[in-house]
Amino acid sequence: MGVSEKKSSEAAFDVPTLNAENLQSNMKVIYYSRTFMSIIGGVIAGILGFTGLTGFIFYFLIMTVTSVGLIAKTGFTVYSYFDSWSQIILDGFLGGLLSFVLFWTFAYDLVHIF
Amino acid sequence: MAADLVLDTAIRDWVLIPLSVVMVLIGVLRYFVSKLMRSNQVPDAKIVKEGQLIIRARNLRAAANFIPPKSFRARRLYYNNEENGLLIVPKGQAQNPQAQMYSDPNMAMDMMKKNLSMIIPQTLTFAWVNFFFSGFVAAKIPFPLTQRFRSMLQNGIDLSTVDVSYVSSRSWYFLNLFGLRGLFSLILGEENAMDDTQKMMQMSGFGFDPSKSLGAEKDSLDIVQHDWALPKFEHRAEAVLRKLAR
Repeated sequence: MGVSEKKSSEAAFDVPTLNAENLQSNMKVIYYSRTFMSIIGGVIAGILGFTGLTGFIFYFLIMTVTSVGLIAKTGFTVYSYFDSWSQIILDGFLGGLLSFVLFWTFAYDLVHIF
Repeated sequence: MAADLVLDTAIRDWVLIPLSVVMVLIGVLRYFVSKLMRSNQVPDAKIVKEGQLIIRARNLRAAANFIPPKSFRARRLYYNNEENGLLIVPKGQAQNPQAQMYSDPNMAMDMMKKNLSMIIPQTLTFAWVNFFFSGFVAAKIPFPLTQRFRSMLQNGIDLSTVDVSYVSSRSWYFLNLFGLRGLFSLILGEENAMDDTQKMMQMSGFGFDPSKSLGAEKDSLDIVQHDWALPKFEHRAEAVLRKLAR
């Protein structure tokens, strides 16, 4: 009940109260942590020897963990740091994929192929 | 699926690892070289002034709802009135950016330096890879791909029977070239060399016209729908206090 009430009040007083520069800095933090996690996740996936679809599922899992971590970092009050939920969950998702694939391939080749 | 290839461990030690390490090191080197070559020119006072003016107008637009209607109208008049508003550029005085670029050779020089610092290392590395490592199967991608990717991943190997997921060394170079961008943004800070050049290309060289951006800012300031937020905030405060008191 409390949540829905908060939502309605957010809609009623629809005034942007976020500082644009701070918002940008927050976005930067998101991109940074996503890139970091995708590289680390790629190395882990390669060492564990995931192939095919398993690896991509692992990437998805890593990104979910990152999102949950970020949300926990905001203290579950996303609206005081970001405009919307989609920003914290989706941004930087595809950008990290290339790094993930590269490091996945690299670690996999070093450990398993030769 | 074709039978698995057996790759020599020497390929790993002498091709795969050196190639990746060299790519990373060259990226770092390029970052520092482009940092060294960047000439810090003294900015033109007029341009800086106009930039600051635009920022001020934008701030007013963003925070319009936090001031009373009368104050907002006064400020808008200050920027927008037809006689001596700050955002009004007198006709004929507007500078042609193209001419400005020609008159300032430093600008073109700077751009050329930046482009060169991108292109030269890439050509050199590509030539190096081509000379030493052409024709190797260097790596294997851990997921299957369709035949369409063959030209992308097996650049330099002309065998149609090799499974597509094997990657030639030249293609491994390309994968590194694109995939290491994330790593660079981690180890070199956010504004690493590559993003920097892209931003510069957009900003400086091609058509940054101060009078035009002033006009655009004026137009968007004109159409702001002013709606003072303070009365609503009283309601909001009341709601919050009621919730607390309950």
